[in-house]
Amino acid sequence: MADDQNRDGDNASLIPGNPVEVVQEIGQAGRSFFAEVGSIFWFLIQTVDETIDRIRQGRLPFRASSFFNHTERAGVESVPLVGLVSFFLGLTMALLTGYQLQRFGTERLVPGLVAIAFTRELGPLLTGIMLAARVGAAFTAELGTMKVSEEVEAIEAMGIGPLRFLVAPRTLALCSLMPCLTTISSIAAIFATSLICRAYFSIAFVYFIDLVRDALLIRDIITGVFKSFMFGLLIAAIACYRGLHVEGGAAGVGSATTSSVVTAITTVIGVDTLYNVVYVVFFP
Amino acid sequence: MSAPTLSYVAELRDVEMRFDEKMVLDGVSLAVDPMERLVIMGQSGSGKSTILRLILGILRPAVGSVFFKQFEVTRLQRRKLQQIRRQIGMVYQYSALLSSRHVRDNVALPLEELTDKTAADIDEIVDDKLQLVGMFESKYMMPSELSGGMRKRVSLARALVMEPELILFDEPTAGLDPVISSVIDELIISLTEQQKVTSVIVTHEMDSAFRIGTRMAMLYQGRIIENADANQFRQSNNPIVRQFLSGSTEGPILEGSQDAITAK
Repeated sequence: MADDQNRDGDNASLIPGNPVEVVQEIGQAGRSFFAEVGSIFWFLIQTVDETIDRIRQGRLPFRASSFFNHTERAGVESVPLVGLVSFFLGLTMALLTGYQLQRFGTERLVPGLVAIAFTRELGPLLTGIMLAARVGAAFTAELGTMKVSEEVEAIEAMGIGPLRFLVAPRTLALCSLMPCLTTISSIAAIFATSLICRAYFSIAFVYFIDLVRDALLIRDIITGVFKSFMFGLLIAAIACYRGLHVEGGAAGVGSATTSSVVTAITTVIGVDTLYNVVYVVFFP
Repeated sequence: MSAPTLSYVAELRDVEMRFDEKMVLDGVSLAVDPMERLVIMGQSGSGKSTILRLILGILRPAVGSVFFKQFEVTRLQRRKLQQIRRQIGMVYQYSALLSSRHVRDNVALPLEELTDKTAADIDEIVDDKLQLVGMFESKYMMPSELSGGMRKRVSLARALVMEPELILFDEPTAGLDPVISSVIDELIISLTEQQKVTSVIVTHEMDSAFRIGTRMAMLYQGRIIENADANQFRQSNNPIVRQFLSGSTEGPILEGSQDAITAK
């Protein structure tokens, strides 16, 4: 009886009471969402501004060693993860689509299907999700720790622009590495597909290459590269923004890191969907 | 726009500062004369460190003006503010050394980023500053391998490396044992005298304050309630200052505090 009453109480709390309050809450959520988007956009503008300011003074915006350090950590060390996950996904995709298409005798469409899907869509998306989790989290945690230990403020107090010094090399590293990693992702998936096609659908490797080349358009490759660059920029901006706005010590760093990964993955998927809709509607 | 008093190195004029609803500084006016060592004392959380961040332009006051020499820090654009900061050194309470760089790279950072000096010149300056603070032997150690006192000394070397006109010290001896505290105090005195630097020191440690300070100011409930040279300050008749110096639990400080009200 008491349990029933508790359950009723719980259910009651889930039912929205006043419709005006519900609308207000939705409005509040929308407002904070757009405020956050605006802040991240402004953060990027400031970073670019500080960096250009430095270049105008005839100096390098950051040290080459800092840039290569981040490219190594963000890019080179991500190659095994991106390659392996894409390889396994390529295997699965080729196998599942192949068996379905085989029923209609059209299994020779598998190479083109996987190649287009990965080059244009899954390569950038998967790489974006993996890098948001792996590199975005690292950026947020690193900058967040620097923020709570006053290192960021010390850099600012010395007269060094922290955005130019800390954010610019990370963002540039991720933006320039994302297209490379996406290419590795697509190649790994296509290679996996070629193995499946050879083993189960009797498509020879040379014929497989011909099918892929026939199916792929330059437009697909450019779309994939552009998307990956855009995702790199978004992941770096979100991760660095969250890191430099950490408050509340170690717990703050933890929650900022979680929030950074969730926001970056959601944003990557959301922007990808939006891009596809716009692309299909305006450039069919 | 109010005009700066040119004889001061730094000046706060009628500054009000709030964090959310809490008024931290309530009409603070304070000037720093050239070559002096001004000690700002006050209870924990009374806004002492806020004053240092206002001088650096990291925080902006709700009301009032902050000057560094002839520049109104509160009105400067980013680029000019960055140039001003190069003339100010800051030693943080927890040293704020970059944990991913060893001692040499921490000290060299401002020179590498802000000057056109060659690597050889930078090495020479870094070695010189590390020798000044007695940390030359630890040049290639990471901050995590250093003790609290060693970190403070490296932080001091980093603050000195750009030859600043003003050095700000945030609790330079907090958390250090008495011997190391005295070493840091003597280092601050000798270096500021040798390098002819003005300094502002925030602390609530009495021994350290009287050892270092040529002038003392006491911040209480957002206001400067006493501002005098070290001897006059020690003999102040202000009951709040007297209680703060004696460390007594009887007096206006505890009576006015929220803790005391709650306890009663």
